[in-house]
Amino acid sequence: MLKRKKFFIGGLMLVVAMSYLGFMGFQNSATYYYTVSEALAQGNAIYERNLRINGLVVDGSVERVPATSTISFLITEADQTIKVVFSGVVPDTFKDSADVVVEGRFDETGVFQAKQLLAKCPSRYEPEEVETTKR
Amino acid sequence: MGTIGYLALFLALAASLYSVIAYFLGGKKKQLVLLASGKNALLAACGLLTLSITILMISIFRHDFQIEYIASYTSRDMSVTYLLTAVWAGASGSLLFWVWLLSVMAAIIVLQRRATGRELVPYAASILMIVQVFFVFLLISVSNPFHRLPFVPADGRGLNPLLENPGMIFHPPTLLAGYVGLTIPFAFAMSALLSRRFGDDWIIAIRRWTLLAWLSLGVGNIVGGWWAYLELGWGGYWAWDPVENASLMPWLVATAFLHSIMMQRRRGMLKIWNMVLIILTFALTIFGTFLTRSGVLSSVHTFGQSNLGPLFLGFIGLSLFAGFGLLYYRSEDLKGEAEMESMLSRESTFLLNNLLLVGATFAVFLGTVFPIISEAVRGTKITVGPPFFNQVNAPILLAIILLAGICTLIGWRRATPRNLVRSFLTPVIFAVIVVLVLLAAGITHAYALIAFGVCAFVLSTILYEWFRGTRARHHTRNENYLIAFFNLLGANRPRYGGYIVHISILLMAVGVVGSSVYAIEREATLKPGDATNVGRYKLEYINTDTYETASRLVVASTLSVYNSDKFIGTLTAEKYFHRSYDQPVTEVAIRSTLREDLYVILLNAEEDGTVVLKLLVNPLVAWVWIGGIVFIIGGLFAFWPDRRRALAAPVRSGEGG
Repeated sequence: MLKRKKFFIGGLMLVVAMSYLGFMGFQNSATYYYTVSEALAQGNAIYERNLRINGLVVDGSVERVPATSTISFLITEADQTIKVVFSGVVPDTFKDSADVVVEGRFDETGVFQAKQLLAKCPSRYEPEEVETTKR
Repeated sequence: MGTIGYLALFLALAASLYSVIAYFLGGKKKQLVLLASGKNALLAACGLLTLSITILMISIFRHDFQIEYIASYTSRDMSVTYLLTAVWAGASGSLLFWVWLLSVMAAIIVLQRRATGRELVPYAASILMIVQVFFVFLLISVSNPFHRLPFVPADGRGLNPLLENPGMIFHPPTLLAGYVGLTIPFAFAMSALLSRRFGDDWIIAIRRWTLLAWLSLGVGNIVGGWWAYLELGWGGYWAWDPVENASLMPWLVATAFLHSIMMQRRRGMLKIWNMVLIILTFALTIFGTFLTRSGVLSSVHTFGQSNLGPLFLGFIGLSLFAGFGLLYYRSEDLKGEAEMESMLSRESTFLLNNLLLVGATFAVFLGTVFPIISEAVRGTKITVGPPFFNQVNAPILLAIILLAGICTLIGWRRATPRNLVRSFLTPVIFAVIVVLVLLAAGITHAYALIAFGVCAFVLSTILYEWFRGTRARHHTRNENYLIAFFNLLGANRPRYGGYIVHISILLMAVGVVGSSVYAIEREATLKPGDATNVGRYKLEYINTDTYETASRLVVASTLSVYNSDKFIGTLTAEKYFHRSYDQPVTEVAIRSTLREDLYVILLNAEEDGTVVLKLLVNPLVAWVWIGGIVFIIGGLFAFWPDRRRALAAPVRSGEGG
């Protein structure tokens, strides 16, 4: 019986340790995920937080700052738009009307300063585009 | 032609369905006639699916663009090799490939002559055919690869140029073969429960299948990481993307399973636990197959929105419910034959290794689906990023690696403190020396020191074990050391293959730690003639060349690389602009050595020759890929048929590790 107790206590300690790791990791990286319109509906609360925002790149809105890796563009969803500034490695899949997720914060002027830019996605193909090429 | 392919799917559905019933009833009532007709139906289904996938391939090669799938994923200018990969480039094609692999494996299962577990085949075949029915049904109903467009496009959309990489040839099929292969141990486990054959037969029957599937899944993941590193151009190889996680999870649980079945064979323990692990593994493979083909989680490589979701979730729920339900009803009969005797035993290290692997899987699962959970519970999506996965998993994985070393040193049943001290002494001293040397070399990062120390410890336990075995053979059989060493390894392939895999994990761990702790990155804007430093390297920007090839415009920036003022070569970072595909492709320049990779990304090239570059130095990355190759060698070594097996008595035979 004593042996069982030992194994039980050992297992419990393991679970506690893993939960602790999980909790700390969670605290350091939990990020709210909004679409453009959801983010704007949050009001002033969005200025305090690290956020991920999903939207489509507005056609023709991508501007490059010469001789830097900085770009700015608009993302849209449900008729609302947010201006995003990002510097770094722009994924090859990023282009007009790409579906993107940006992670970062809003600055005081309401521009979203992105630290990370994700664009879907090498193996994604929308069937309807086949039809548009036909028309 | 496509119509025949679609028709073949219908017939395959009927044949599989018949096979499910015939095998089940035949197994239950022990009617040989029914079993024989079940087998024929299973083989017919395999033939029909082969016909179907062959027709898809022929149609791809004949550019039959009226088939929507072919118009979406291929074009006239694609090379033969990449046309071949189009079979698994999209959702419905890859599902067809999935179920075709399943039907081939099922055919091998029923045709194979086997010494043990023959009685398990009928129910197992029945279960395999249930899975097959589900997938063929998906193909017929919601994900038809032969769906025809109302018109014939002149050309297809072609393959995304980002996917034009050998990775596209190896990554999807190895991953899928891994997923599919893990269905087989599940089917045998369920068969064992159904037929009340609770012995070790089912485990003996599927060990090598499981090993091969697990190896394939592991290779698929490594190739995926290598591909991302070369092609996606952000300097990393693993991003904790939901789809990556989806293929890591079944691999982790299958790893636990491969270890815990050793416990059952050696000591008759953990019988219920083995069942739990294999049910989870199967559910996770289906979950992984599903996640890639649904839009539920935003990922770099989903196939786009689809209506497969409810069907898949229903099937996963059903498998879990049926699996665990059956296990519950039979649990009385699955009592272990032995109890844990001591905390200080190989059994307890195996148990701990299992708990940690499942714990890591659970953490990955939670992090992956957290957005869905939080949206369901609180109405807001909360995502957790790579820091979560790294913080949780790094310590767990390190503990698992440490256990692999401890396990080697501890005997079965019970170890006494005194012989522990003796066997631990050498490896611990070796690890301490390695840490001291690293400290002297200027490595002061605590995490890196701990990780490298642990790896050194585990490596020395394995090498020490090999050395002792070789020496013993040398003395008792008078073989010279080299021959003794190879005979030792050959004498127990599963065991020594396992050790080789452990070494491969160590190599990968060293690569991962080095490249995540000591990576240097910076951005530089350079005019021709400018120079900049990164790490030990000086890079001098020469010029940017723009030229056209048959299919694309190439922008290529060339740099001279100096290591401490010594010229060591040039690097060319490029961007391709394809004429037929509206998307640039960034080709990074990599100078790879065993010590570190110099990785240059061309971010931007201006008209006047000014370029914006991202420069990275990734230490020890090469060891991740070297580890991958060793992983394949070790896995195949363990898989390779053992000549002794034919003679082995059905008692608990030696297969430690």
